[in-house]
Amino acid sequence: MTGQTIGMEIELQRASVRFNRFQAVQPTDLTIRAGEFFSILGPSGCGKTTLLRMISGFLEPTEGDVRIGGRSMLGLGPSDRPTALIFQNLALFPLMTVWENVAFGLEMRGWPRAKRRARAEELLATVALADHAGKLPDQLSGGQRQRAAIARALAVEPAVLLLDEPLSALDLKLRQHMRAELKQIQARTGITFVYITHDQGEALTMSDRVAVMNKGQIIQIGAPARIYDHPGDSFVATFVGEMNALPCKLTESGPIAQCETPLGLLRASNPNALPASSDAMLFIRPERLRPLSPGEEAENTLPARVTRRDMEGAWSMIVTEAQGRKLLVNMPNDGRGAPPEGEVRLGFEAAEALILPKGEISHD
Amino acid sequence: MTSLIRAFGGPLTCLILFFSGVWVLGLIAAPQIIMIDKSLWRMERPVGAAELSVQIDGLYNRLDLLALDRSTVADQPEKLAAIDTETSTIQAQIADLERAETTPVKTYTLDNFRQMGAAHFAIFVRTILASLAVSALALVVCYPIAFAVAQLKTARTAALIMLMLVVPYAINELLRIFAWQMLLGPNGPVNAVLSALGLPAVPFLESGAGVFIAMVYAYILFMVFPLYNVLETLDKNQIEAARDLGAPVWQIHRRVVIPHARPGIAVGCIMTFMLSVGSYSVPYIMTRGTAAPWFTQLIYNRFFEATNWNVGAAYALSLLIVCMIFVFLMMRLLKVSLKDIAK
Ligand SMILES: Nc1ncnc2c1ncn2[C@@H]1O[C@H](COP(=O)(O)OP(=O)(O)OP(=O)(O)O)[C@@H](O)[C@H]1O
Ligand SMILES: [Mg+2]
Repeated sequence: MTGQTIGMEIELQRASVRFNRFQAVQPTDLTIRAGEFFSILGPSGCGKTTLLRMISGFLEPTEGDVRIGGRSMLGLGPSDRPTALIFQNLALFPLMTVWENVAFGLEMRGWPRAKRRARAEELLATVALADHAGKLPDQLSGGQRQRAAIARALAVEPAVLLLDEPLSALDLKLRQHMRAELKQIQARTGITFVYITHDQGEALTMSDRVAVMNKGQIIQIGAPARIYDHPGDSFVATFVGEMNALPCKLTESGPIAQCETPLGLLRASNPNALPASSDAMLFIRPERLRPLSPGEEAENTLPARVTRRDMEGAWSMIVTEAQGRKLLVNMPNDGRGAPPEGEVRLGFEAAEALILPKGEISHD
Repeated sequence: MTSLIRAFGGPLTCLILFFSGVWVLGLIAAPQIIMIDKSLWRMERPVGAAELSVQIDGLYNRLDLLALDRSTVADQPEKLAAIDTETSTIQAQIADLERAETTPVKTYTLDNFRQMGAAHFAIFVRTILASLAVSALALVVCYPIAFAVAQLKTARTAALIMLMLVVPYAINELLRIFAWQMLLGPNGPVNAVLSALGLPAVPFLESGAGVFIAMVYAYILFMVFPLYNVLETLDKNQIEAARDLGAPVWQIHRRVVIPHARPGIAVGCIMTFMLSVGSYSVPYIMTRGTAAPWFTQLIYNRFFEATNWNVGAAYALSLLIVCMIFVFLMMRLLKVSLKDIAK
């Protein structure tokens, strides 16, 4: 190794991208810390790839500045930036062997053949592909191709690795395995990873911080737990993880507010301090809703009827209906009480539900 | 075979086999076999023709002697009769021998191929070199065009451009070439422009440059389409990946685009080369005798002016062999298999 690569900080200053009339990325201020595993999470078409291409240099921002390692990148092409991009479809060169693929960046930097071959093999060994150096990309499995693409990007010793949904083509098992592997590589190299995905599981498990994006705009940035437990708006609340949503009208303001919903008066926390009589949405995670045993009480209770029970291994997803509204309930499969059937009472604590301003709901 | 029957059923299989057979025999095998056969024989004087003519001469002498004898024995009827019968048998013999002497026999030989004199061989070589140059020029012109069109973001614009490229080819080939002949003629617009610029007139038609230009024009389409088709299938992310890894433009082409385009390059070169080498109308119209002929014109002459079909066939076969060698070389050089080309 030619020294430990150290990640660099990325800073977007009012950076935006417009295609003709279409604003693909709204003016964005964003700081991604050096050596951080940063994910950008958003639905398809929200501008994630566009944002990444702006950082990598394939697109110039229409306005604003992109700075990497404290230096403005305006006017610099992708090969002049300390970044490497891993494409959505990997884009390995199909007519070159695996090691030639990995060594391509070095070849372009004028390394002699023997030297770059040695370096490529070293890199392939770090991604457990040492035995496949002579194969063509087509002869590799999906996960191996994935690792070859990572090795190819690492060969040019970038300070920032940009990954555009690199796991989307893999099956679930492999995806979970590769998540861990990517995280390891990131920790080992110390490179800044900017990871794009529309899979919230991926973003939550791997990242130091997550940015949720919608319609060209970054809506919320935070640690995975923060995003999950304290979504800033209705879109984040419904896009990240499963969520039950009820329209409501506040009847009483305060840190814990009371509101009128189609299912009756309910109490929930009110982080935005919405005033009384405003229209809002009440959100409650399926795992925070629980079936109450007879006689058991909770701050909020709802009568409902079980329509379906899906056993998912460690937990069960119970689909219930209350006044024609679907409510999801998650129950751990811990042997304490069988999943209910027929009529149930559901309960939750006020602090576990959120009242947020009415807004866009994700239907993913 | 059994899998064919399973897939299509008995009668349909028979039909398929029948049509493939007709295709292979009628369109591929028969013309080639006839041409090869023709090139390998010629009509020759029969063996021993010299001895025959000596023998015939002897018989004529004998006839003269008999005529002399006849005058001396005019009063002896039985002798006269004997002489007359001998005369008629000898005359019959002479007729037979003469027929044998003059009827040529079909002889298999490689001589037809040796008929090509230095002048014709020079034209042969020149034709091949010029056709190679036509292919090379077409490739150089088409590669950037095909690449640029294939890189266009919208498929509609690409389709439109390709359509515009095809439009001129809706006009009959002969007319298009006549147009070029007029364009490049001594009083044509091109020379008019040259003289307006104060440059000397260029004898396009007389120098053979006209043939070359018209040929590039006539066959360039057969280069642009195979190239476009193959370049269009190149994943644009590969170009970007190469750029991201620091490849300058020429390296992107050398390492990524051209290797991908190899089958298209091979097909395009093979098509333009074969069409140029075998072109008759372009050199015929463009030169009309004012410049050295194309080899196809020599072949035509062998067939229809010298009426020596055997030598004509041998010339044609020589050209065919060169074409086969070219195809083979292109495939080796570009490391393309028949399978890639078929795609
Ligand atoms: N070159 C372009 N010209 C015009 N519009 C474009 C261009 N590239 C992208 N867009 C538009 O910008 C928007 C964002 O595209 P982008 O590729 O960034 O989405 P994404 O978030 O990466 O989606 P996905 O998850 O499906 O990959 C889309 O609506 C797309 O149609
Ligand atoms: Mg994308």
